Amino acid sequence: MMKRAIGKDEHTRAVLQQTVQNIGLYIILTCVAIITVFPFLWVFFTSFKGPTDAIYSVPPQLIPHEPTFANYIRVWNFLPVGRFFINSIVVTMSVVVLNTLFTSLAAYPLAKMKFKGSNTIFYLLLVTYIIPSALTAIPSYILAVRVFHYYDHIQAAILPYLATVFNIFLLRQAYKGVPDDLIDAGHVDGANEFRIWWNIVIPIIRPSLATVAIITFVEQWNNFFWPSLVLPTMTNKTLQVGLVALQGAFVSDARGTAAGVVMTVVPMIIFFLLLQKQFIRGLTGAVKG
Amino acid sequence: MSKKFSLTPYLFLTPALVVVAIFVLYPIFAVLYYSFTDYSIVTPPVWVGMKNYSWLIHDPIFWKSLGHSFIYLLVTPILIVLSVILAIVVNRKLPGIHAFRALFFIPVISGSIAVGIAWRLMLDRNGIINALLLSVGILKEPMQWLAEPSLTLPFCMALTIWLGVGYYMMIFLAGMQNIPEELYDSAMLDGCNSWQKHWFITISGLRPQITFVAVISSLAALQVFNEVFTITGGLGGLLQSAYTVVFYLWQQAFRLSHAGKASAIAMVLLLITLAFSMINIRLLERGTEAD
Repeated sequence: MMKRAIGKDEHTRAVLQQTVQNIGLYIILTCVAIITVFPFLWVFFTSFKGPTDAIYSVPPQLIPHEPTFANYIRVWNFLPVGRFFINSIVVTMSVVVLNTLFTSLAAYPLAKMKFKGSNTIFYLLLVTYIIPSALTAIPSYILAVRVFHYYDHIQAAILPYLATVFNIFLLRQAYKGVPDDLIDAGHVDGANEFRIWWNIVIPIIRPSLATVAIITFVEQWNNFFWPSLVLPTMTNKTLQVGLVALQGAFVSDARGTAAGVVMTVVPMIIFFLLLQKQFIRGLTGAVKG
Repeated sequence: MSKKFSLTPYLFLTPALVVVAIFVLYPIFAVLYYSFTDYSIVTPPVWVGMKNYSWLIHDPIFWKSLGHSFIYLLVTPILIVLSVILAIVVNRKLPGIHAFRALFFIPVISGSIAVGIAWRLMLDRNGIINALLLSVGILKEPMQWLAEPSLTLPFCMALTIWLGVGYYMMIFLAGMQNIPEELYDSAMLDGCNSWQKHWFITISGLRPQITFVAVISSLAALQVFNEVFTITGGLGGLLQSAYTVVFYLWQQAFRLSHAGKASAIAMVLLLITLAFSMINIRLLERGTEAD
């Protein structure tokens, strides 16, 4: 009798303790969620505010009483936002496709073939990995202006990113997990190295290719430093660069600037919400590589 | 794998190596050369020896920028502490926990430029931060947050932290899945309380991830640009209050066309990054030895 009573008592105490702890956790989670979401919510609501909805008032007004698309229309008419979108899509997609192709080609012999100079190439790549991008930007800019003559052309934003050392290392690691027996079987069947790579190896490392594609996609869509240097003409700018131009032109127009921010961020957030698992696995899964 | 010489591996490597050679390898040597020249990009470079370096040594703005870049490294310990705590919090089976995790990840993918501009709007004299603080009674009159030199750099650092916490949280969360459950059970049997449990087991179990995050976040902090650019509207803050090494490099190279001086700054940045990577590799080696 006694024993059972104590057991029951302890059980309720444990449940109570668990409940209190969970409430505490939800409070922390909610606070962090508010800090995370608030800037987005505020920008979103501000972008739909009309002239009668105050940006600044005490107490503050968050939600517009008379929501309007006027800010979006004003921004769209004042700046070539459609061009910004097209340019961003062209740059991002070209880099994602070609970078994934080039780095998956380059990583294969580094993981699976013995050849003269392989160690030299590997260590050379390792060293280049830590070179600051601000350093490489100076000569790359001079090359763009004086040698390749693609300054102010969209290629200028694409070419320097067609191979990234980080992606090569990531894929090299993935190739290392492919059993040699499979490749040798391909040799026995008389297939050449490209055939083996394309038909046997690539299908196996597909998850890692997705990782590389997602990392590159997010990086390029949000890339600012280099495109801002080489794309001066308004119609050649990408979204991020165009957004800064918009911020400059709409200095005293918080509603218009907010509309620009929403247009830049929303496509990526939608993409993320649709492919959450792939995004998180891709961006953080690279760590193991 | 045949032993006779074959062109195949080189063919696989060529496209990527050409790109790396032009846009990463060549620039190292070009910058080294430019750093000894007077170069305005429009006219050809003129050899000036050590002039750019002695200019740097005597330039107070450079030293200020360098100091700011080192102060910026404070984001690394803050990021690690916050994201480990957050990872511990979200590493439970609670209803809705996946939604919270995804939510915390959104800043990571939304891009520093757009978010920085949003922050600048919020911190404006006529922004929501003033409105909120006034209505709660913390402020008596609106502050010019962005015109306050002592706050500019901290705002940039806060933005870096806000943008990064979700990313590092996910890295730590992934690391926690590799910590065996039995370790926690035996710690509970040994009479550890909840905090001791996390201190002894979670933190030491996460050592590889902590080292990794320390490496990447400190290298990123040394090279910060976007946050400074957006928070200060491209000006670097009043009285150079948010100038960092990369911001100063950018200004010298691309605003003032002083490619020679900018290259000297780039060489200093390269040396600092190399030194940091060496220290980090040492730490990494020590970290793996302990395992």
